Amino acid sequence: MKTKSSRANHTVRTIGLMVGLWCGLAISNTGWAAFGDDPEKPKPEFTRQEERMAAKLIPRGKSTSVLIEFQATGGRLLGIEGVDFDPAGQRGMDAKDFRSDLFAVTVDGISPGGEVKLSLSSNYFTQATELWVLNRASTPPWLPAGAENIERPNRVQELVVAVTDGGPLDGDGTSNGEILLVVGPRDSFWGYALGTLLIRFFGVFLVLGVLQAGMLLAGQVFQTLDRRKEAPKPLPARPATAEEPEESAESIEAEAATAIGVALHLHLAALRASAALNLEQADASSWARQGRTQIMRDRLLTHDRPGRK
Amino acid sequence: MTWEYIGDLILSILYTQTGVPNLEVKQLIMLAISGLFIYLAVGKKFEPLLLLPIGFGIFLVNFPLVPLMGYTEHGTPELIRAFYKYGVEWEIIPCVIFLGLGAMTDFGPLIANPKTLIIGAGAQLGVFVTYIGVLFFGFTLKEAASVGIIGGADGPTTIYLTTKLAPHLLGANALAAYSYMAMVPLIQPPIMKLLTTRSQRKIRMRQLREVSTREKLFFPLIASVLIILLVPAVAPLMGMFMFGNFMRESLVVKRLSETAQNALMNIVTIFLGLSVGATMQAEVFLNWKPLLIFGFGLIDFVICTAGGILTVHVMNLFLKDKINPLIGSAGVSAVPMSARVSHNMGIQEDPNNWLLMHAMGPNLAGVIGSAAAAGMFIAMFQ
Repeated sequence: MKTKSSRANHTVRTIGLMVGLWCGLAISNTGWAAFGDDPEKPKPEFTRQEERMAAKLIPRGKSTSVLIEFQATGGRLLGIEGVDFDPAGQRGMDAKDFRSDLFAVTVDGISPGGEVKLSLSSNYFTQATELWVLNRASTPPWLPAGAENIERPNRVQELVVAVTDGGPLDGDGTSNGEILLVVGPRDSFWGYALGTLLIRFFGVFLVLGVLQAGMLLAGQVFQTLDRRKEAPKPLPARPATAEEPEESAESIEAEAATAIGVALHLHLAALRASAALNLEQADASSWARQGRTQIMRDRLLTHDRPGRK
Repeated sequence: MTWEYIGDLILSILYTQTGVPNLEVKQLIMLAISGLFIYLAVGKKFEPLLLLPIGFGIFLVNFPLVPLMGYTEHGTPELIRAFYKYGVEWEIIPCVIFLGLGAMTDFGPLIANPKTLIIGAGAQLGVFVTYIGVLFFGFTLKEAASVGIIGGADGPTTIYLTTKLAPHLLGANALAAYSYMAMVPLIQPPIMKLLTTRSQRKIRMRQLREVSTREKLFFPLIASVLIILLVPAVAPLMGMFMFGNFMRESLVVKRLSETAQNALMNIVTIFLGLSVGATMQAEVFLNWKPLLIFGFGLIDFVICTAGGILTVHVMNLFLKDKINPLIGSAGVSAVPMSARVSHNMGIQEDPNNWLLMHAMGPNLAGVIGSAAAAGMFIAMFQ
């Protein structure tokens, strides 16, 4: 019991040591250096195909890249840039909700005060995806774009937003025939995280439940096969001949069996006795032979004492 | 040549070619941490097969100017970087370890009582609860998933998932997973006592049926088909696991099976341990995240243990032959340590109640369950 308790004390001390060390790290200056890191920050690459532009990026919470296509109707898509979501300057919004970050879209070739329709389409969007616009000149700076979410073939969702030159969504704020739209597709982060959590957890139950069903079924099949295999098969009848009289255990009498047993015992005992006498028997191991030789030498020394002549 | 010139030369050599003037406080802290893990491995025998190489890896890379984890001017990886790049980054070593584990595993207790698979699923509760928990602390989705999997108590799965989703947390996650796995006999018993009554702990379970060699041979094939069809993302881990087991049960490739169990497993363990340890360089490791990971890792283990036990309680509502809830804690896949804990707890209540083989069922189910959970996470981020 003492050993057990001392072992427990040792373990508690070890854990205490670990906790202490980690606390030390926590309060050290370097300990908090990594706050504000965004290791999953999207880095979009833009390509142009005639009037369309596409952004290829790995959004937050994904390991594979997605493609977002931009198209403008009623104007010319001049260019698109990725915009950093700066949490300090954009209060009231959470970067986590903007998993593909923000885009600054510039459209020109429209009549001053005119309207342009901008569409963003991707199979990454869902029916719940919304478009939000950041316009630092307005109060509040974040505005819902009121985009229409249209379902397209191949699980693609298209978000279409109408923007008026110089209107509340226009980032440059003037009717100059050019529109600057800082826009980002927004999905509820916590809705996604909690929703997928439940689905995945029950998914594990589903996988193991299916495996259980499969194993129960396979077990039944194998047990049935094994039972059939183990069932005693009737031995093929062998014709009894006159030269080979039928023998069975029951045919040997108890006295005869005893006699055979005694005879075997005496024979084997005799063999063992003769083997024990043979010191140089071939099957004795080397250490046994060495031991026997040592015993013989000791005996000789007893008889050959110094001074005895 | 003047004395001044010689002095400058010596100083230049000291600063550019020796480590002493370049040694920083944070590196000393990391050296102390490496000493702690080496002590735990050698002195306390806590998971020494992994903690010793990990500890030594931390020790080696935290000296200044060491050419171990960088790249040369020609882009060639330095020694441990090469182990890491080709072994861990390419996701080879965790899968090879699963091959060895498969070759070591006797699925007999699980095949004899497939109901225990559900316990393995229930014991993944902590994985998902922790996933949500760490999100509140500012972890990203991928980081949260990699931290959550620690509770599954499966080292290679943790390493595999972390490498895929959040490689910068690899060292902390692997260390937390292996440290808490070593502490299973300390962590689990109080939770087991708290969640069970004395009479429940005394439940005797019916002896397991005999499993034929044919059944054992077909198990890896059937399991592979079902699991990989449902969660293709887990094919690298499960495929290797079941391949190793198939080699074992086929009885015709004894040499291959023994190599996978022993030599191969030992070799990759050395490289894995060193590589994981080497990711813990002071500038990467010394921040707030590893601390939270260790804290949440413990909570994760506790919830997983509780999840397994509660699953048994729920199952017992519907079962005629009751299951001893103590084997629920074995749903965390620290094989065979958590099964042994269940057995010992059972023995304390009834010295003639042998639970070990019954507990091996959920224990193995836990391995499959944590791999399935990892597969779910991988699929989620695809």
